[in-house]
Amino acid sequence: MSLILDNMPLFLRGLLATLQIGVVTLIASTIIGFILGTLAVTRSRLLRLVVRGYVELLRAVPLIVNIFFIFFGAPLFGLQLTPYAAAVIGLSLWGGANGAEIVRGGLLGVPRHQAQSARALGMTEPEIFIQILLPQAMRAIIPAFAGLLTLLVQSTTLGALVGVPEFLQISRLVVERTTVMQGIDPAFQVYAFVLVIYFLLCSTLSFASRWLESVLAARGGSRKTGTAKSLLPETVS
Amino acid sequence: MTAPQASAPLLAISGLCKNYGAVSALDHVDFEIEKGQVVSIIGPSGSGKSTFIRCMNGLEMASSGTVTFEGRQIPLSNQRAWTKLRPDLGMVFQDYSLFPHLSILRNIALAPVLRGRATKAEAQDRALALLARFGLADKAHAYPVELSGGQQQRVAIIRALAMNPKALLFDEPTSALDPETIKDVLDIMLDLARNGMTMIVVSHEIGFARQVADRLVFMAGGRIVEQGRPEDLIARPQSERLVEFLRHLAPRTA
Ligand SMILES: Nc1ncnc2c1ncn2[C@@H]1O[C@H](COP(=O)(O)OP(=O)(O)O)[C@@H](O)[C@H]1O
Ligand SMILES: [Mg+2]
Repeated sequence: MSLILDNMPLFLRGLLATLQIGVVTLIASTIIGFILGTLAVTRSRLLRLVVRGYVELLRAVPLIVNIFFIFFGAPLFGLQLTPYAAAVIGLSLWGGANGAEIVRGGLLGVPRHQAQSARALGMTEPEIFIQILLPQAMRAIIPAFAGLLTLLVQSTTLGALVGVPEFLQISRLVVERTTVMQGIDPAFQVYAFVLVIYFLLCSTLSFASRWLESVLAARGGSRKTGTAKSLLPETVS
Repeated sequence: MTAPQASAPLLAISGLCKNYGAVSALDHVDFEIEKGQVVSIIGPSGSGKSTFIRCMNGLEMASSGTVTFEGRQIPLSNQRAWTKLRPDLGMVFQDYSLFPHLSILRNIALAPVLRGRATKAEAQDRALALLARFGLADKAHAYPVELSGGQQQRVAIIRALAMNPKALLFDEPTSALDPETIKDVLDIMLDLARNGMTMIVVSHEIGFARQVADRLVFMAGGRIVEQGRPEDLIARPQSERLVEFLRHLAPRTA
């Protein structure tokens, strides 16, 4: 235990990096997700196909392959990315694809006659989107994004593979350093600590996600929206 | 049939066709309604009644024909023109689709404000007055889920009225309701009809047609097969299809 306490500043730095990557990629995923998810329900077939292609590609390719591709591929285009940047870009593109599915699912989950009756009242398409469709879709979208944040935080560990000093990577350094300097192998101790921290962090997030879902469902009355949530992948590849 | 009048009809439709792929839902329909008239439309399921009424305000784009409102022809594919027309042609659907995330008051006052037909305060006052007039004053701050089907449908009618429309279109407004709440909805419709509202009503409530409709239209197979004064049409149907249709309808309205 003293080993953990001794290295606390290091662990905290790693944890902070993990949370930072989680939040930054969530914001980027939200922006990409709302833009693409909205385009995915427009009348333009071409736009729908482009979004479909993007989403399918990013969800089919294992996330780590995606991050490697960006990290090792960028220099070929004359762009030297830090591990941090490569991980953030890779996670954001992937999160954006999942975000797009969440937003698309949320929008499609609003019954068709809602747009119809708004249209019959003389509302324009942008008005219908902002006043009628989006607020109703948000009930499914918000908790699903909280779920996505959980996945993003878990996926930050992939950053360790390109050398991002996030929580897992830092923990690995602590293990190595202790082994070299003190001649003991604290791997079990340290990774048990890592496991507990990830568990606490992510179970809190998914609890928050479920809580949001129930609160928003209760406020929305009896109408059941839950389509978007199930669009998330079960695990991270 | 109503006698021809010098004034132009409020809404005139001619040669209207609507095809869904190979299916012809409307087949050269001609139709007119004058200001203050009430027209009821009946016909078997799939005869094109909904398609017809939805082509009137452009929710469905007709394949060919003309729709003329107050003497102005609306270009069939011009969405902007339809959007501009719709506030004048209120519509009430079978499934009383109120907006579940908005209070009753907001449901009613939203569109008039967006369309610049009223300030927010005016729209709310008007909404409250309409709610009071139709016995729903206490529901202003409730949400749609807290209302019964009949109450929701009455709000849907009020919501359409709040735009100050020149005519109201109804597509089977009572078909999804419990029998005991149908009367409340029909009472509002009778009230409106008697107060001079122009109405086109797809409904199998023959009693409503008998009481207030100037004309009853019978549709089958995407065409208007017969039309006339409700009592004439019901007493002396000319076509085999209407005879057959009325026979099926009889047990419900007897
Ligand atoms: N969106 C649609 N796509 C394809 N066919 C449709 C569509 N809407 C209606 N139809 C067809 O058009 C015909 C008329 O339908 P509708 O207007 O709903 O009849 P009604 O309201 O009298 O029951 C039916 O044959 C129906 O199957
Ligand atoms: Mg119908």
